[in-house]
Amino acid sequence: MISTFLTHSYKKFTRSVSFEKELAKGIFMGLLALMVVGYSLALGFALDGIIRNQLHQPDSLGFVNKMLLYYFVAEFVMRYFMQNVPALDVQPYLHLPIKRSSITHYLLSKSILHVFNASVLLIFTPFALTVVAKQWGTSAAFSWLASLIFLSLCTHYLVIYYKKKLDDSLLGMAALILVFGSFAAADYYQWFKFSDVSSFIFNRGASSFILVILAIALFAFLYYLNYGVIVNGMYAEDWSSEKDSATEWGKYSDWQFLRGFGTYGEWISLELKLILRNKRPRSFVLLSGLLLLYGLIFYRGDEVQKMPGFALFVGMFITGAFMINYGQLLYSWQGGHFDFTFTRPISVRQFIESKYWLLCAATLAAFVLSLPYGYFGWHIILAHLVMMIFNMGINVFIIMNMAMWGPQKIDLTKGSTFNYEGVGAAQWIMAIPIMLAPYVIYLPFKLMFSTQVGLLAVGVAGLIGIALRPYLITLTTKRFTNKKYEIAAGFRKE
Amino acid sequence: MIEIQSLTKRYKDATVVNIEQLSIGSNESFGLVGNNGAGKTTLFRMILDLVKATSGTITINSKNVQGNDEWKKFVGSFLDEGFLIPYLTPDEYFRFVGNLHGYNAADLKSFLEKFEVLFHGEITGKNKYIGDLSKGNLKKVGIAASFIGNPQIIMLDEPFENLDPTSQIRLKELLQTERKLRQVTYLISSHDLNHVTDICERIVLLEKGQVIKDLRGESTLAELEAYFKA
Repeated sequence: MISTFLTHSYKKFTRSVSFEKELAKGIFMGLLALMVVGYSLALGFALDGIIRNQLHQPDSLGFVNKMLLYYFVAEFVMRYFMQNVPALDVQPYLHLPIKRSSITHYLLSKSILHVFNASVLLIFTPFALTVVAKQWGTSAAFSWLASLIFLSLCTHYLVIYYKKKLDDSLLGMAALILVFGSFAAADYYQWFKFSDVSSFIFNRGASSFILVILAIALFAFLYYLNYGVIVNGMYAEDWSSEKDSATEWGKYSDWQFLRGFGTYGEWISLELKLILRNKRPRSFVLLSGLLLLYGLIFYRGDEVQKMPGFALFVGMFITGAFMINYGQLLYSWQGGHFDFTFTRPISVRQFIESKYWLLCAATLAAFVLSLPYGYFGWHIILAHLVMMIFNMGINVFIIMNMAMWGPQKIDLTKGSTFNYEGVGAAQWIMAIPIMLAPYVIYLPFKLMFSTQVGLLAVGVAGLIGIALRPYLITLTTKRFTNKKYEIAAGFRKE
Repeated sequence: MIEIQSLTKRYKDATVVNIEQLSIGSNESFGLVGNNGAGKTTLFRMILDLVKATSGTITINSKNVQGNDEWKKFVGSFLDEGFLIPYLTPDEYFRFVGNLHGYNAADLKSFLEKFEVLFHGEITGKNKYIGDLSKGNLKKVGIAASFIGNPQIIMLDEPFENLDPTSQIRLKELLQTERKLRQVTYLISSHDLNHVTDICERIVLLEKGQVIKDLRGESTLAELEAYFKA
């Protein structure tokens, strides 16, 4: 049975209409996998040396045990972003004499064949053999390693369960934020040390076998949790579950007050419904929310004090996260009902302008949400303000114009992990002018005068863009009017 | 009302539409028939300024449709699912389109009452997104929405396809009643010769993008059947 499923998967891949695209994706993923393997292996052999020589921790095993819990948290996060839920198009098999349980076991066991599941093995096997075995003895070292492997597999199934069951629901997101928030808070305010907990769990010496038993039990529990979800999910009404899950969000997507803004309000509120009711655009919002925290990585250190221009870079992503992410596919989102848009009483200019206001409103909102960064110094707020103005004046027009370059239709119902639908060359190239533009203005003024003058110049450039808005919108409208037919024809192609 | 002058559409070597002259009068019910690939949908899309003509012009009320948004106020259309918004419920969709045409809640309510017979209680008042509706129900939503704003021109592509027999008959009645109540021009393409000849006084037969026949009167159906049999 398993071999049949495997050949079917293989045929699906090789006989796919978009085989070249799938193949290119496959090669890219393969290279990525090789990279993960390579880095993991290198890290594995160097781990002991790095800890003792670079981090000056003589007790490398104790240190590793302190860090392991962080490792698993990081693994969960990484898997969350990189790993897909196992999927087989089960519909064609259900009416055949195949047990549902065997389909499910196939799905769950095949999902283990993932490069992330190898990385724990690659990183910690050399360490277990050289360091742990010396200190605790061989059998304890094997127990220690085995427990790590099973815990890693636990995160594997936990991610699948989370994605299947809780992802995309308000409850799931609240739970995730709460868990990570309380961990961070506990560590920050030193209620208890996370590393001590980690040490308590993993630093067991000869009694490591208890840990293995617990890890296996947890593994079995999570496996059957997933088993239940998948077996019960094999009914026709669940196949459109991705759409149905939108209803929960749908309730919060009708922003009545926007109707006060006339036609623009109507179109913007339509686009908000698009964003909140469909999985992929919604995940873009989530990502933009996460990028708000981007500054925490950089502003904590004193890099920013040394290089104030760096705050510009961070500020661009913080205030412009949504604009850049969502805007790169600006026209693709509505590709499915593009014909509707242009047979109803709205002019191209109004259409372009409603997009402009949506992107700018999101940028303003991001700036307001980033105000707490003032804690790290007022100059950061200044840099964010300057970048917000620049995003609203210049970058928004770069994005709106570059997004016209051969946009493709997006299937809104599909999820977003490794979904490159609609992402073409334009989307990759777009990053270059957006990132360079502020520096083209900042650097000459900074070098000639001072940092403050450089920031001022960027802000002034943004203000000029805002002042020229009617003209720039006319220009964008003209370009769009010319490309309208080509874009519409592209969207009609399957 | 609609004037088409030396209109062509070419894709590389293939000419998909080539119409020397065609005018559709006010209050006319105009049917378009032709086998697959005859260029019916392309012609409709060109009238709606969704496909750019290679040469020639289309005017509505003597104004070129291209680069002009005025006609959108009095042309209602439904060609395919690209005219629907999948992530709205039908109610939200009607309200949205209604607002674009300046409807208030009362206007919309009385408008939708007209379509209750066609909807058969399956469209409005349900908390289901358009994207989750069946093909037939999608069609009903699109057709109803094309009537919003009492447009002078209504364009429908294959309106009877995917509808159950009852709905087909009701839709036909609805289209005929509307014409008795007010001035309206229909442009309807269909493969169903019986339905289209019932509704339309004038039938144009398209083949390879060219007007082959322009028929009116009693013998239309017989002539069409004779043509398609050959």
